[in-house]
Amino acid sequence: MSDQTQAMVRVTDSVERIAHWILAGSCLLCLISGLGFMFHAWEIIPTVLGGYYATKWIHIFSGVVFAMALAYAYWMWKKDCSFEQDDLGWILQGGGYLWETDNLPPVYKYNAGQKAFFWFVVVFGVTIVLSGLVMWYPETFPVSMARWAYMLHAMSAFVIGSFFIVHLYLGTIGNPGTVQAMTTGKCSRAWCAHHCPRWLADHEAKVTSAE
Amino acid sequence: MRNLDIVKLIDTTKCTACRGCQVACKQWNEQQATRTHNWGSYQNPPDLQSNTWTLIRFQEYVDSEGEFKWLFRKDGCMHCTDAACVRVCPSGALYHTEFGTVGVHRELCIGCKACVTACPFDTPRHDPKTDKCYKCDLCYTRLLSDQKPACVLSCPTGALSIGDRESMLKKAYTRVAELGGDANVYGDKFVGGTHVVYVLGEKPAVYDALPENPKMPTTILWWKNLFKPLTLIGMGGVAGAAALHYLTKGPQEVHDSQEGGE
Repeated sequence: MSDQTQAMVRVTDSVERIAHWILAGSCLLCLISGLGFMFHAWEIIPTVLGGYYATKWIHIFSGVVFAMALAYAYWMWKKDCSFEQDDLGWILQGGGYLWETDNLPPVYKYNAGQKAFFWFVVVFGVTIVLSGLVMWYPETFPVSMARWAYMLHAMSAFVIGSFFIVHLYLGTIGNPGTVQAMTTGKCSRAWCAHHCPRWLADHEAKVTSAE
Repeated sequence: MRNLDIVKLIDTTKCTACRGCQVACKQWNEQQATRTHNWGSYQNPPDLQSNTWTLIRFQEYVDSEGEFKWLFRKDGCMHCTDAACVRVCPSGALYHTEFGTVGVHRELCIGCKACVTACPFDTPRHDPKTDKCYKCDLCYTRLLSDQKPACVLSCPTGALSIGDRESMLKKAYTRVAELGGDANVYGDKFVGGTHVVYVLGEKPAVYDALPENPKMPTTILWWKNLFKPLTLIGMGGVAGAAALHYLTKGPQEVHDSQEGGE
């Protein structure tokens, strides 16, 4: 047991994990309730959520939570997720997920795919929040603008919804040992050496110097 | 009148603006009046409201020959065949009836106001008190009992009539030929044909709050015909691709002989 603990590295702090789950939870609730509005065949969704009217307010409420969590997440992760030169090489090799590669650029904290996901969520998250605000009070805005809002809302839902599933897969069963980053906050040293070698080296140097 | 493709014909040239239809509509649908202020026009209330589903618009107009005209137009839901409001309604509250009109399942309305923005004729209205949207349903329950809508029944001049599409359009075009000049039929040539058709004495552009070329907003077509299916294809496709990746390539296991791992 103690050997195991020794081999674990703290990769996220509790604030990061709480913010992540508020963002993920509100996003999922928005997505599910929104799909209930988009596809009439899935009436089961509003039925389970307490009817269409309740679903409307669940959607709006979780949208507001999502907006606040998104603002915090942006502030918290924008530095970790800013692109660097090597990210292009990582992207061009599909991150090593799709075919065999032997010269993936070593990653710092987050790889280029994670960074891209972050920025997609920021850009389309801002779009979906702002368009959602217009849709909440459409009469306040010129009609052409309000109509654009509905379209942009649907477009952003498509982008965020699709990336959500990619994120879910790669963060869980696609990369065993990863989900702990958002549960206990500790991943194995081997995992760190594989997924974020440069960050691990920095981190261990800091820990050593602190000792 | 059951299971007919019906059309309500509004011959504006026969309208005397008695507003009997406006009152009959309120009475039959049990909609209260709202206190308004005199704004220098007989047009009262000034616009359609959540409890005013039809309204006579009063308009003073001087034509190209300098002749003064007082134009009256009964405004209200046009009952589009390809209705933007039905396309955007998220809860199925708005629907096409067997008459081709646009009905409202009031109990399903969640007051999201999507129909208010979508309508090319600016017809539905939202009531913040009930948090629901309202518009004319062409007296659906009366049509079911083979009765004329309240407005048509009340009309003393024959400006309002209702019947099957073919005979109503024939009547409209005959009337337009009789009137000559700028008179025209409005409603049969756009949004799949409306189930409320006007005989207008003047060109459509002359009338207040009447779109010259109403159409399904393009943003709604992009929303419903592109992004809606894309959401399903995107999310489903990605889930399928992830499953395929898991089964063919397998998860990315971390191997490190020195650390032992898990």
